[in-house]
Formats: sequence, C-alpha cells, structure tokens
Amino acid sequence: MNSRFQEIDPSWAWRRYEPGPESPWNKRRAAHLFRRAGFGADAAALNEAISGSPGELIERLVVGVDAPDFTDQMNQMMRTLAAGNNPRNLASGWLYRMRYTPNPLHEKMTLFWHGHFATSGAKVEKAELLLNQNELLRRHAIGDFGQLVLAIARDPAMLLYLDSATNRKSHPNENFARELLELFCLGLGAYTERDIQELARCFTGWEVNQGEFRFNRFQADFGVKSIFGKRGNFTGEDGVRVVLEQPATSRFLVRKLLRFFVADGDFPDPLIEPLAAQFRADGLQLAGVIRTILGSELFYSDRVAGRKVRSPVEFGIGLLRGLDATVNLNMLAEELGALGQSLIFPPNVKGWDGGKSWINSATILGRGNLARRLVTNSETRFGGRKLPEYLAGQGVVEPEAGLNWLLEQFIAIPIPESSHARLLELAQRGDAWADVLHAMAVLPEFQLS
Amino acid sequence: MKTRRGFLTASSSLALLSFAESTPAFLMRAAAASAASNAGRVLVVVQLSGGNDGLNTIVPYRNEIYRRARPSLAIGADQVLKIDGELGFHPAMRGFADQLEQGRLSLIQGVGYANPNRSHFESMDIWHSARTNHSSRSLGWLGRMLDELPPDSGDAPALHFGDETQPLALATLRTPVSSVGSLERFRLDVGGRAALRRAIQESAESDRGSSNDLLSFVQASTINALAASERVDAAVKSYRAAVDYPKSGLAEKLQRIAQLIDAGFNTRIFYVSLDGFDTHATQAAAHAGLLEQLSGAVSAFLNDLHAHQHLDRVLLMAFSEFGRRVAENASQGTDHGAAAPMFVAGSRVRTGLIGHHPRLDDLDDGDPKFHTDFRRVYATILARWFQQPAGEILGQHYEPVDFLNSNIG
Repeated sequence: MNSRFQEIDPSWAWRRYEPGPESPWNKRRAAHLFRRAGFGADAAALNEAISGSPGELIERLVVGVDAPDFTDQMNQMMRTLAAGNNPRNLASGWLYRMRYTPNPLHEKMTLFWHGHFATSGAKVEKAELLLNQNELLRRHAIGDFGQLVLAIARDPAMLLYLDSATNRKSHPNENFARELLELFCLGLGAYTERDIQELARCFTGWEVNQGEFRFNRFQADFGVKSIFGKRGNFTGEDGVRVVLEQPATSRFLVRKLLRFFVADGDFPDPLIEPLAAQFRADGLQLAGVIRTILGSELFYSDRVAGRKVRSPVEFGIGLLRGLDATVNLNMLAEELGALGQSLIFPPNVKGWDGGKSWINSATILGRGNLARRLVTNSETRFGGRKLPEYLAGQGVVEPEAGLNWLLEQFIAIPIPESSHARLLELAQRGDAWADVLHAMAVLPEFQLS
Repeated sequence: MKTRRGFLTASSSLALLSFAESTPAFLMRAAAASAASNAGRVLVVVQLSGGNDGLNTIVPYRNEIYRRARPSLAIGADQVLKIDGELGFHPAMRGFADQLEQGRLSLIQGVGYANPNRSHFESMDIWHSARTNHSSRSLGWLGRMLDELPPDSGDAPALHFGDETQPLALATLRTPVSSVGSLERFRLDVGGRAALRRAIQESAESDRGSSNDLLSFVQASTINALAASERVDAAVKSYRAAVDYPKSGLAEKLQRIAQLIDAGFNTRIFYVSLDGFDTHATQAAAHAGLLEQLSGAVSAFLNDLHAHQHLDRVLLMAFSEFGRRVAENASQGTDHGAAAPMFVAGSRVRTGLIGHHPRLDDLDDGDPKFHTDFRRVYATILARWFQQPAGEILGQHYEPVDFLNSNIG
C-alpha cells in the first residue's frame, strides 16, 4: 500500500485543478501531463500548451483530433508490415505511431490495453491478427469498457492466445474464463473456481476460422450455468455481461488506471471509490474517469511528481519526442525489448508489472547505452538536423541555460546540486551536448516520471 | 578510490549496510566494489515457467490410469529412459539420465502445497515468496535469505540472468538484485570518455535524502549497476568452457554463470528461467523440446563445473509453479494442475528418487496430491546448504528433506 496516499482527502484529490499563484499552469506541469497522458512533448508543444488552459488541452487529448492523412499513412504502413507476417515488425510500426501521433493519449491508452489484454506474438504468430487486435484496442481505447471486453472476447488473436479456440463442450478450456475474471475485469478474490468453470462453459464453441471469429454451435454448451449466483442458459455474451455487472469491475479498472496515470503502487479504497462510482454511473465509459484523473488536484500535486518509473517505451519515445528526433525504429524496438518491454510480445498474460520491476542493473545500464546510441548515431536527426544545430535553433547555446532547458523538458523532479554541477562541467567542455544528454538519461531522476 | 576500498577492507562489517536505503552513496559504491572471494556455496535456480507436466517428465510408464487418461500424450515403456521398474524419464531427457547415473541428480517427487492455486501468477508468487497468505508476499524466499547473509561479500549476492521481469523470489528488503540479459548489457558504454564516466558515477552518488522511496530505490540500483559493470568486465577474462554446451538459450545462460563462478565471482544465487511449459494444446512436441533443452543444458553445466572443480560448492534446483492435470484435454494438451517433481543436482546430493510417486487413483480434483511441501525443500537448502535460519526465513519450521549428503555440514 502506498502510505503516501492514505491521508489524502478524496474530495480534494479529485477536485478539478485550477491554476493559481501557488500552482501555476507552466511548462513543468504541462510536461508532466504530456509524460503521463502521452509520451512527452517537445518545447514547441509545451509552449503551445501553456498558452491555453489545462482544461482545453485535456479535452483535446481525450476527444482527439482528426488527422485523416496520418491515419491513412499509418493504416497503409501497418498493413504492409503485417503482410510480411513477422509480428516483430509491428513493434517498429507502432513505435513510429507513438513517436508521431497527434493523439498521444489514445496511443497511451492503446498501450495500456495492450498490457491489460496482453496477447503475445510468441504464441499467436499471425501478424495480421495481432494488428487487427491492436486496431481494436485503439478503436475502443477511450470508449466503452463493456464493448471493449466483448470485442476482445471474440478477437481471434485473443482466442488463440488463451486457447479459447479449443474450448469445447466436452472439455472446457478454462484459460480465457480465468483471465477474464482474474486479470481483465475483477481481480483476485472476487470469484470462485466454480465461477471460472461455469464461465468457461459459456464460451464453448467460440472459435477462430480462417482468421475470423466463428460460433460453432456443435461445440457450444447450451446447458444451464450458474455464475455469481445467477442461473441461466448463458451464452458468451451473457457471461461477459454478468461479469461486468459485478461492482468489483469498476474498482478494479480504476485502480489500474490510477497506477497507470498517477503513481506506482496501490491506492486506498477511499480514493478509488469516487472514481469507481463515476465509472459505473457513466455505464463503464472511460472518457469521464480519465478526464477526472488528468484534471485533478492530485494529478498536478507534488505527491505525484516522480512517483512512477518510466517504462522503456516512455523512456525511448520520450527522448525522441522531446528532441523531435528521428531514429532507426527497428533498432529501438529491439533495444526496448532488451530493457524489458517488447511491444506485441508482452512477457505473459498479465502484461508488464511496471514500477520497480523495470529497474535492475542491466536495464539501468541498458537505458544509458540506449540513450548514447540514440543521440550519437550518425543517422539520428533532431528536427531534421544534427543535435548542436537543433539545440542552437531552440536557443540552447550557453551551458547552464541549456542544461536547465533540458532538465525542465525531461525530468519531473529536481536533481541534487552536486549532480547538477557534474552535468554542468560536462556541458562546459564544448561540443558535449550528446554527453550531457547521455549523463542525464542515467540520472536516477530521469528514470522517474 | 583507494581510500574508499581501504576503508571498507578495514571495516568489512560495513558491507552489511551495503545497500540499505539510508546508507551514504559512497558506502554503497565501496561495498559493491570490494574484492571477491570464491569459497562460498552457490545455488543455481532454474525456474520452469508455465507449469511443467510432471507426469510426462518422470513417467509412470506401467500405470494403467496414466495411459487411459492420456490417449494421445502417454509415453510408453519402450520410449522412456528407465529409472526403475515403474518410472522413467521422458525420452528427451538423456542428459538427466546421464547425471542420474553419475550420482549427481536427486528427483524429489510429489512436491506442492495444500489448497493448490491454479493461477500461474498466484502459484508462482506462492513458490517465490514461500507464503500462501496473500498479504505477506512482498519478499522472496531467496530475498529474505539475502537479507540474512553475513557481510563478507562485495559482489552482487544474487544475479538474475534473463530479460524477463525479475522473479519475486529475489525480492529483498535492502539489496536490489541485478538482472543481466547478456554480459554485454553489464557494461556501461561511454565511448571511451573518462570525464563522462566520472560525471555519471558522481551524479548517481550525490546525496538525495530519502523522502521518495522510489528515487532511493533507483539510485541504489544505479550505483549497483555501475559497480557491477566494472566487475563483470574483469571477471570473465580468464574462463574457457571444458565441455561443449548445447545451442540453447538456457545453455547459454548456464555457461555464463559457469564463467562467473570460475572467475571467482562471489555471487551466492544465480537465477534463470525457461518459459513455455504452459502446454494447453498440442503438448507433445513442445514439451519434448523444453525437456531436452533443460536436461541438455543442466548436464553440460554440471560437467563443466566438475571439470573446473567447482561442482562441490554448487547446487542446482529446478522447479515449476505447478504440475498439470492427469487427464489430457481435447487439444492434445494438459491444463493447470498441482503436485509435480522437483530436481536438485550437484555432486553433494543424494542421488535417485526421493519420496514416492503420487498415486493416480487418489486425485485431488483431477490432480496428483502432493506429499512433500515445497518449503521443506527450501528449508533443506537454507539450513543445510547455506546454514541460514530456515525457520525465520520461511516464517515457520519445515522438516528438511533428505536429498543432500550427510557430510555437507
């Protein structure tokens, strides 16, 4: 339990953040919002953000902007990548989308659902099905959770991943039903083994045929099932409905969203409950709860800054977006895998644990080495230019001002004076911004968001 | 640097504090960098992730119930590598059969725990924490032991080899345990720029107070990582493998571990995983491949350590979070089960079968019943191999299992 949050008054926490003299809407807060609700932003985006209000920015993030050209370009590119039937290629394409998307919150939520409904190319192997699932997650990213669950329950990649495709009347395969309760909707302790067995029967006959969902009535169990005390000739759709009606669903999802957006660790029930109630009242629509979280007093307070470990994707894409950088994304996809986050290849059905589990000796050194490769690679471009020219174009020339510009852009919390002095010495060596960026990326503070 | 090392040597008990969150950064650094000795005993844990099908690993090849329950997956008497008149290894396990013959392999049967949990994550957490009570699972059984270790080691006391998430078994109160994918990943690349390396080192060591526990954690991890980078560089220079390792991910990891052991790396616990045992569908080929990888890699590792005269101080333990159902499912696979065998290997084990094979005519909800609590195996390793207070670490007393030679102390 995150004791830091025990004492917090929920009515303060979820009250709407209004900028004021004590807590101005500035670059630091805008950078925080972009880090959590997206993958970071460059100086131009931050300046634009603070010229408006936080409410406007959040609305734009939640609703999204129309970008038909980008969408067409992405669709075409992803279909081409999938045609080679190597799921690994999808990861590079997705990183491209994260790097350039005008709708970072939708992309961030797509990543959230990828970890939530984790499905791995290691088992599914068919790139097209994995891409279809990725698009499904994006379509529903900030939509109706109930529809998302129903869609994922019929999603061929998921059916293959959790063996529902072989869930037959004579031998129900409990894998999908178990994860639906344990990992997707309710969490441990909110159901019995018996609920799992009965729920598995509801999904019998849900198969994949030639890459598409098919209901096979000959393998379906039409008998009476009993789930959570309700009895009936439940179908799979009924099964999902009964699960979603459990009050644990809203609490489970809100808890996970708070861990994703606000802070690592757990939150006390009194903080969860108001949002869970809102989520239920909204009929499990996600937009309202996300608006509340991203617009709250708690979200912009010091209690939250630097209280999340940056995931590898946040680390890598954050560096690129922050410097408007262009790199070889195949290389990046592979390196992020070595840091513990292979997109399209989550480690298991539970997705990524996140938090402290991202951090160990190998990943710390790997993050540093990756930062070095990104900034020193001769092919990398920053706003189409080389690093010193790009930084000069941003007005970054003088060592101390330049260092502070980078720190404000990238780091959520202050660094110790002596660390600042070491980085400044590097910056003063001349032609050393790559070294400064490298040293900054290995700072303990840089690993936090 | 010299003064820090000297300070530490003069007062080695300070290493006890090596990574406590309140410890000044320069002490963490000094502890991590202090010289190694290679006399200590080592445990290598091989985790078989996904739930290994124990029944097709040690096969009751004459058992009628087994054959009937597995029309497509049963392995016959003509195929198994016989252990005795009832039991035999899966035919892919030639390496284990060899090690058994050489007296280096102990097969502990019917291992599990009461009220088995059939969720991968729950059951793995139970094995990792050695606690069935959900609320007390923040630390690992090995992590708790690492917190008990005497202050004589400046090396990382435990290393996890692999890119997957670090196992809960290694979760400690104080010491962040290192994970390595390959040895290359243990080297900080500064492009030969000494000033940069210094800046990185000193920036990490700056005092940060302790109001943000996440920051303290990352700082300790960073200091540990920078020190480890230097050690690994130095440690791998002198080693050559004495045997040919098979070409597999597991074999490669075990060979790297042999390298570090041979180089006098004073790490007490090495941890590796082999994933893929969740064989719900078309199990036969996948399972055979996994068992071949396991037994081939472990066998080469034991032979290599023996040739380098380290096997007397190394113990290898292999486990899985659960076994699988007795009956196969409709997909030529098997679903999550309960009790299964564990393996312990080395030159100090009591070789052969330990305990009886679980009865197949007396099942618990379709699964073999356990008769040996896995924590009895842990207790044996903790108390007899490492001379640590097993009862304290495991939270209660567990009767040891007799799988180690009586003369190991």
